[in-house]
Amino acid sequence: MNLIEPANPPSRKAPLVWAIGAAIPWLLLAAGQLVWFALDQRLLWVHTLAAAATALGIVLFVVVVPLWRYRVHRWDIGPNAVYTRTGWLVQERRIAPISRVQTVDTERGPLDQLFGLANVTVTTASSAGAVRIVALDSHVADRVVAQLTDIAALGGEDAT
Amino acid sequence: MTVEAGQAWQRLSPRMLLVHPVHELLRQIPVLIGSLVLGSATGNPMWALFGLALIVGYGLARWFTTSYRIGPDEVQLRTGVLQRKVLSVPRNRIRSVSTDARLLHRLLGLTVLRVSTGQEARGDAAFALDAVQAGQVPRLRRILLADSLAPSEQEAWTTARELARWQPSWLRYSPLSFTGLAMIAAAVGLVYQAGAGVALQNSRFAQSGLNAAERFGVGASVVVAVVVVLVASVVLSVLRSLVTYGNLVLVRRDVAGSDGVLHLEHGLLRVREHTFDMRRLRGGTLREPLLVRLFGGARLDAVMTGVDGAGEASLLLPPCPRATAESVLSELIARPDAVTGPLRAHGAAATRRRWTRALALPAVLLIAMVAWYSWAPVWLWPMWAVLTVCCAVLAVDRSRALGHRVDAEWLVARAGSLDRRRDCIAAAGIIGWTVRQTLLQRRAGVATLIAATAAGVKSYRVIDVPAELAWTIAGSASPWVADSDWARTQ
Repeated sequence: MNLIEPANPPSRKAPLVWAIGAAIPWLLLAAGQLVWFALDQRLLWVHTLAAAATALGIVLFVVVVPLWRYRVHRWDIGPNAVYTRTGWLVQERRIAPISRVQTVDTERGPLDQLFGLANVTVTTASSAGAVRIVALDSHVADRVVAQLTDIAALGGEDAT
Repeated sequence: MTVEAGQAWQRLSPRMLLVHPVHELLRQIPVLIGSLVLGSATGNPMWALFGLALIVGYGLARWFTTSYRIGPDEVQLRTGVLQRKVLSVPRNRIRSVSTDARLLHRLLGLTVLRVSTGQEARGDAAFALDAVQAGQVPRLRRILLADSLAPSEQEAWTTARELARWQPSWLRYSPLSFTGLAMIAAAVGLVYQAGAGVALQNSRFAQSGLNAAERFGVGASVVVAVVVVLVASVVLSVLRSLVTYGNLVLVRRDVAGSDGVLHLEHGLLRVREHTFDMRRLRGGTLREPLLVRLFGGARLDAVMTGVDGAGEASLLLPPCPRATAESVLSELIARPDAVTGPLRAHGAAATRRRWTRALALPAVLLIAMVAWYSWAPVWLWPMWAVLTVCCAVLAVDRSRALGHRVDAEWLVARAGSLDRRRDCIAAAGIIGWTVRQTLLQRRAGVATLIAATAAGVKSYRVIDVPAELAWTIAGSASPWVADSDWARTQ
């Protein structure tokens, strides 16, 4: 037996938001290096090395990783389970039964609000079993939450 | 039965009027010293007396301000001298009741009674009756657990079966544990922190020791010191094991119309009792640390909802003969084949990964030693050979340990060498599955399957199963995976 991949990709804006989220700390680091270079121009090879490392980090985490994550991330909701695939280097596929769902949370960070995205977290009684569907368009997220709470009939049983 | 428990607020045992002031005095030693200093500085001894009276008064006030109530739906605990607090626990959420009696409590015939629910409660949020008279404990336990068990009469508690009882021969597993060394280290740390280290350095005892060391030579002194520490550590480990687990008894009590309770009692000086609701049992973990396994021993942890998965709280049996641990677990989960049955091995890829991991350290060391060939002392080479052999043995043992076994009712996973564990998890308690693959695992065609439960350590891993088997395992344990829209038979 095998499980096919979940069907739905995250929002099209997801790679952009992830890239911006990753770019902010990297650009701060780059700015710090510029200031350092302006103040002190001895040890040129150290500057070059640091600049190369930063450039590599920016290419990897601002360009490659968001695109890679967008290719991997998928989610799906069936009549009795939610199913996601996440990650890039380490990839996870996680499935949880909706009958055991305890809470459904929606969460929007500052960047998510700017771009109209939302993350949905479905928790069960196990701390190892929470399913996160990240970077959904807000209207999709609202539909997902409504659908999940509808099926789950929350608070019905002890769910342990 | 609930009515008998009383709706009124009840106080703890009046004997706590003796215990609280003593505890407060011990806890407020700095305040006491401060008031003594103030007293001698101002030449007015009343300050010291005032400080003492304040502390004792506070201790007494704690008893007067603490009360508890066992209501029809919830139990409540009211505490706090200055800041009042009421802690309420719904009775149907009570998962286990444990008791604990330290020396001072025991001398006065008192017992601390703790109630644990599904939530992890720490510190102030924990529901603890500190303390009630030991004679009241069986009655309170019955009342507190009765609601979460089926409503039943007291006579139903009489059928009790003893599952295990501590034997002196169990002590043979304790000398090789590290508890003795840890105790010595803690004692040394305490002595130095108290500033006694400096005093010791200048003492005649230390001087005579140094003189002796000079006479025998450094090598001999180091050997003597190591032997002394090792012997002390063995003695301490055995003693601690004896004091903590001597008189351990594990009993299963059947209750009509329910799964009953599990009752564990141990401790010679500090008596601890745990009562577990059997309906919360989701399996058990047989743990065989290398040093215990060499002597044919094993220890047993319960996998229960509402009970912390690691450490003291979930312990059912300390290191004991393997057969004992296995028979107790078989008895608890009523499936001997899950406990002792053969496991399905994970194949060549998993074995290869164990070997690469184990040999990574020797390989790096070898490269470093070859690169700096001229600086590497000669004795480094035989040590490297010994290390490599040890790593190889570890790899063999780890790949032999890997295995799983699954059916519609139980998931069994075994892994590890230094700390080998065999987790037996009830399939009904699994509320989520994760298949995790790192880049290397994807290339090797294996995956780590993680079963999420609300019990024990919450996540149980089946390490490096062949990738095509991962969902089959999940599907055979959980019908909701096999019946989901995404399942395809190959």
